[in-house]
Amino acid sequence: MFTTGSKLFIGATVLGLAGTLIYGVTQDNSKLGTIGLVSATLALLFVMGMNLWVRDSNVSATDTSSIATSPAAQPTPARSMWPLFAALAVALVPVGLVIGRGITWIAVIVILIATVEWMVLGWSERASGDVAYNASVRKRVMHPLELPILGALGLGVIIFSFSRIMLRLPSTAGAIAFGAVAAVVLLFGSLLATRRSVGHSLVAALCSIGAIGIVGAGVASAIAGEREIPSHELPSYAEGTCGADEGEADDHASRAVASKSNLTATVVLKDGALHAEVIGVIGDQQSVTLPRSGNSYVRFVNLDPEAHRLVVDLGAENVVVNGTDTKRPEQLCTQAVGKDGAQFIVVRPTRPSASSDTPFTFSVPGIDGSVTIVVP
Amino acid sequence: MGTVDNVQDQSGDSMTTSSPPHRGWALALGVVGAGLLFAGCAKDAPQDTWQPAGENANKINDLQQPVFLIAGVVLVIVASVVGYCVWKFRDHGQAIPKQTHGKPALEIALTIVPALILIGIGIPTVSTLFDLAKTSDTQCVVNVTGQQWWWEYDYPVQDGCGGIDKPIVTSGQLVIPAGQKVLLRIASRDVIHSYWIPKLNGKRDAVPGRVQTLRLQADQPGIYAGQCTEFCGLSHAYMRMEAVALDTAGFASWVDNQLADYTAPEPDTSAGTGEALVITNCSRCHQVNGLLNKDGDPVIARPDKNVYSGAAPNLTNLMTRTTFAGASFDLLTDSCKSALWSTPAAQFTAKYLEGVTPECLDTVELREWLRNAPAKKPMYANPTELGKTDGKYRGMPNLSLTEDQIDDIIAYLTERK
Repeated sequence: MFTTGSKLFIGATVLGLAGTLIYGVTQDNSKLGTIGLVSATLALLFVMGMNLWVRDSNVSATDTSSIATSPAAQPTPARSMWPLFAALAVALVPVGLVIGRGITWIAVIVILIATVEWMVLGWSERASGDVAYNASVRKRVMHPLELPILGALGLGVIIFSFSRIMLRLPSTAGAIAFGAVAAVVLLFGSLLATRRSVGHSLVAALCSIGAIGIVGAGVASAIAGEREIPSHELPSYAEGTCGADEGEADDHASRAVASKSNLTATVVLKDGALHAEVIGVIGDQQSVTLPRSGNSYVRFVNLDPEAHRLVVDLGAENVVVNGTDTKRPEQLCTQAVGKDGAQFIVVRPTRPSASSDTPFTFSVPGIDGSVTIVVP
Repeated sequence: MGTVDNVQDQSGDSMTTSSPPHRGWALALGVVGAGLLFAGCAKDAPQDTWQPAGENANKINDLQQPVFLIAGVVLVIVASVVGYCVWKFRDHGQAIPKQTHGKPALEIALTIVPALILIGIGIPTVSTLFDLAKTSDTQCVVNVTGQQWWWEYDYPVQDGCGGIDKPIVTSGQLVIPAGQKVLLRIASRDVIHSYWIPKLNGKRDAVPGRVQTLRLQADQPGIYAGQCTEFCGLSHAYMRMEAVALDTAGFASWVDNQLADYTAPEPDTSAGTGEALVITNCSRCHQVNGLLNKDGDPVIARPDKNVYSGAAPNLTNLMTRTTFAGASFDLLTDSCKSALWSTPAAQFTAKYLEGVTPECLDTVELREWLRNAPAKKPMYANPTELGKTDGKYRGMPNLSLTEDQIDDIIAYLTERK
């Protein structure tokens, strides 16, 4: 009644089911193992069903037409490279476990790919006695997977290579190279559009040369390393007391990405008085609410003729120093900045303002008044 | 599988044919597809964008109705033409027709018509976008902060919202005055989240380091459901929220209640024991405004030292809300929740302000939560696996409370209203 292969998978499925039940009942709080066993059982059940359905692909002895159509009557399958790849990858797994996890992951991925490719190849070679038809079956199944993945990988390699080139070239030359490559692509595309007689092989050859050139230049650039990229320091703000003394303002502070984002507040010193402007709230504010334990991005704009810095006072934190309870003031400040200058500061209050004996404030040394910070 | 029939071909010889084996599958797929399609026809879905309940959502609806209509007409035309061509010119052995290239008049028409349609849609779309982004007529401001996996609301000191003279912090349920233009200032403490109350407005991402604005307005008092719509980690699906609109007087009462002084439980009661348990077990992360320790000093929660996001829900007036744990679970029993949600707008405010009464408290959910929170809502709260988060939890850990301790804490929390 049951074929040999089916018996094997029926047995494996029953064993898997029994194992799942035993494991699930005896191992509390181990959902992962149960899920794994259930998955394995379902997989075995599926394979068992398939095997039952095709009856091990056995040919009936009375079926004379199978003399020509049965798998055994088909030509020997072509050689496949996938077992070789799979074997290499299997060998790489223990190597990766010793050297580095990345190699193991790559090997596992290669094993999976080789397994799928090999299985589909084997399956397609049994589709009929026609080799060409079998190849078309394989393509129909695998190309929708292979082409996008290979395309994405190819594009990724080219983009990565191009990024290495751009990081290697001087910034001016990089802009020129970018424009030149874009122009070449545009020119090439325009020529192709106007000259329909250009052969596919010529196009493929030119594209290949271009891709190899970019990848080669990318490899060379990666080996040579990136050019020296000057960094723009963010404005410094030291903990401790922030006095009225001047420091060197960072002229590039406004280039920071965060300072162009939606700021929590802009604190403005104008006509000798301080006020805050808050997104979504109309009018000048004397109180700003900042979230607790979250980064708030605040910009200080000095419209006063003198140079000033903004001081953020977040009360005092109780700390133990040499076994003695001490109150340590929490202050941040920007660099001093001249008229019409702006500075940027990140504030992250961790305690509610109600927990402090003194109010949390934005203030400017030498200027009366302050903007109250409320931390709920 | 198809059926097998014996028929005769034109020569009179018997032959065997099979009916298409895919017919059964096609029928099954059709039934499943139709089921899925009709599943979208719920009459009273709480998060239905086609049932706007406020000015902003109405603007979106006024835009999406004609756009949907136009898109539907285009779909029908395109699908009909494609279907007709597929059927009419299917391969039945005929010769390949003469191939032609280019038809300028048709191509120009097929460029201009979609362009005109897009322009026709684009003008009201841009106008609606500007309307929705307007903030100059704000009547009430609420700061909204997302974190894994709950929303915190704080009401800054302001003249708006009927006047608030001390900040209010709550979570899970956003309470707003009905009929007022409420401006949400949305941010995030950790990863990107997205705030969406479908019946009141579109969605807005909560991005760390950015303050994004979103205006809500509810025409009528009531509860409006929403959920985080940006995948934000393990318990994203549990990150829900509700907007509760109260009439103006009711909202003022709610504000007064939120700012009322702390009421300590009677000593030597279960709630009194619960207060001590809250101080030792909960207040490291959860703030209860006005709570004093045995020395009489205010108990200040320091979630920044214990929780990765640096915040935990404020429990001061827990029982004025009807949900907990990121609005994932109800504090109300099913019947009480159903009664609240179906209360007519005119009576809703009074009903909501009753808070969670002892007879309506769903102790099952709360008890399960206190017994083992990570088992109820997946969180990174295994104390042996906190290396990547500097030893801090992402979510509430299992506090290993006894059943008696849970009773006492629930007794204490029941008085927080």
